[in-house]
Amino acid sequence: MEGFTFYFFAALALVGSAMVALLPRLVHSAFALVMALSGIAGLYWTLGADFLGAVQLLVYVGGIMILFLYGVMLTPKESSRWNLQSILFPGLLCVLPLAVLLHLGWTGVEAAVEFLPTLPEPEPTTKTMGKWFLDREKYLVPFELASIVLLVALVGSVYLARRRKEV
Amino acid sequence: MTPDISHYVFIGSVMFVLGVFTMTSRRNAIYILMGAELVVNAAALNFVAFARYRGEDLSGQMFAVFIIVLAAAEAAVALGIVLQLFQHFPTIDVSKSNTLSE
Repeated sequence: MEGFTFYFFAALALVGSAMVALLPRLVHSAFALVMALSGIAGLYWTLGADFLGAVQLLVYVGGIMILFLYGVMLTPKESSRWNLQSILFPGLLCVLPLAVLLHLGWTGVEAAVEFLPTLPEPEPTTKTMGKWFLDREKYLVPFELASIVLLVALVGSVYLARRRKEV
Repeated sequence: MTPDISHYVFIGSVMFVLGVFTMTSRRNAIYILMGAELVVNAAALNFVAFARYRGEDLSGQMFAVFIIVLAAAEAAVALGIVLQLFQHFPTIDVSKSNTLSE
């Protein structure tokens, strides 16, 4: 059962990101990104990160995707259909890191797998994470800094996105 | 076969490379942003996958939360910039907004 949920969400994430990379229409790619990000949220749940999966669904699938769809609506429709010539260089560029990453991931992880501890049952993480966010020894300062960053981004994006007066 | 960490590392690698491919093969600015989101998510998935093997230590998950926060801020500001680009040039094709190089 655990295997089935994992492979379902893994397929969702991989097929979704492949569709983002390959589909010719911008709107289709935006909805494929919804699919990929939902798959990642499911993978977080299979890893026992319940709070994080919920945050991923709320912030990414709910919030950032709305932003992207606004971006699609407010900008002109342009053909972004690629031909063989335009993807040749990026494709070659990507083959090498893919090979290196897969090789490193596989051999390194295979070597490490026998030293892995036996996994405990995942426990609910929300309470611990909430305490850690407000713990001065742990993550209080990054937490406050993140709120400042969000405030600056809010004000900055409102300023950037306003319509300039005709001169 | 029950999934172990190598499966998550595999998914993270493939998503990262697909994100890089999206960023390099498209000229549309919104596509480039979507590729960046894929890259960031692949990194966050690796953080969470390795945190699973640390037992009580939830630092990987905390990092992933901060990654999500910063990605949200980045998406908002970047889309504001894209809208300004569209008002300044008649296009969001990043290869045509090259007045600084002329």
